[in-house]
Amino acid sequence: MNLSLLNLASALAAHASARQQVIAENVAHADTPGYRARDVADFASILESAPAFAARTTRPGHVAFGAEGGLEPHEAAAFGTETPNGNSVSLEDQMLRAAAVRQEHDMALGVYSKTLDILRTTVARR
Amino acid sequence: MSDLERTMAASASGMAAQAARIRLTTENIANADTPGYRRKTVSFEAVLDDTRDTRAVATGPVRLDRSELVRIYDPGNPLAGADGSYLGSNVDLVVEIADAREANRSYEANLKMFDQARQMASSLLGLLRR
Repeated sequence: MNLSLLNLASALAAHASARQQVIAENVAHADTPGYRARDVADFASILESAPAFAARTTRPGHVAFGAEGGLEPHEAAAFGTETPNGNSVSLEDQMLRAAAVRQEHDMALGVYSKTLDILRTTVARR
Repeated sequence: MSDLERTMAASASGMAAQAARIRLTTENIANADTPGYRRKTVSFEAVLDDTRDTRAVATGPVRLDRSELVRIYDPGNPLAGADGSYLGSNVDLVVEIADAREANRSYEANLKMFDQARQMASSLLGLLRR
């Protein structure tokens, strides 16, 4: 029962770290001409679009089936932030997204450790 | 390599690029009064690192600003020619200081992202330590 909760929490943490990577790349390219800001779809929409019975890739040699994970970055920039050299990264916007990622990651780890606590309480001998 | 390590690699490449930029800006400011000095500029470009699957930022070749050197009239200067003037540098201090400020801001943003990734990784490891 609780194991699905652990899976959910670890998927949320994986989503947060994938998103963190994309945002860090955006920030690194804040002054690169022609760079377009990217982002990953939010966790809720990935969760809703995930098929109930999807083939899982458990080894590096496996071919991904459909939109595995849905963590592919897509272009996403705040409106009106494009500079004359074609760069669409806004540092303020990226900081906002980074704060959201931080919160998401903290929540995932919080849920994970709390679930483990509950499991441990269940099996502990008194 | 995990996502968080790749995050830190991307942030580190950003910091290295901004540091290179701020070094050239400093050189330009230091040579603002050097006769014949042309200001140095550097471009940023994205490099896709296949082995690490990151989009790191790299600095391109250092180029010299080809705008005209400022002609300074000073007959007393040993470098002055027959018309009593010599060629100064084409460094504009206002431009350089604005550039340095922007580099500083971007560097700090990269540092913040690096620190956040580090904290996320260490809280992840904290789960093991319990």
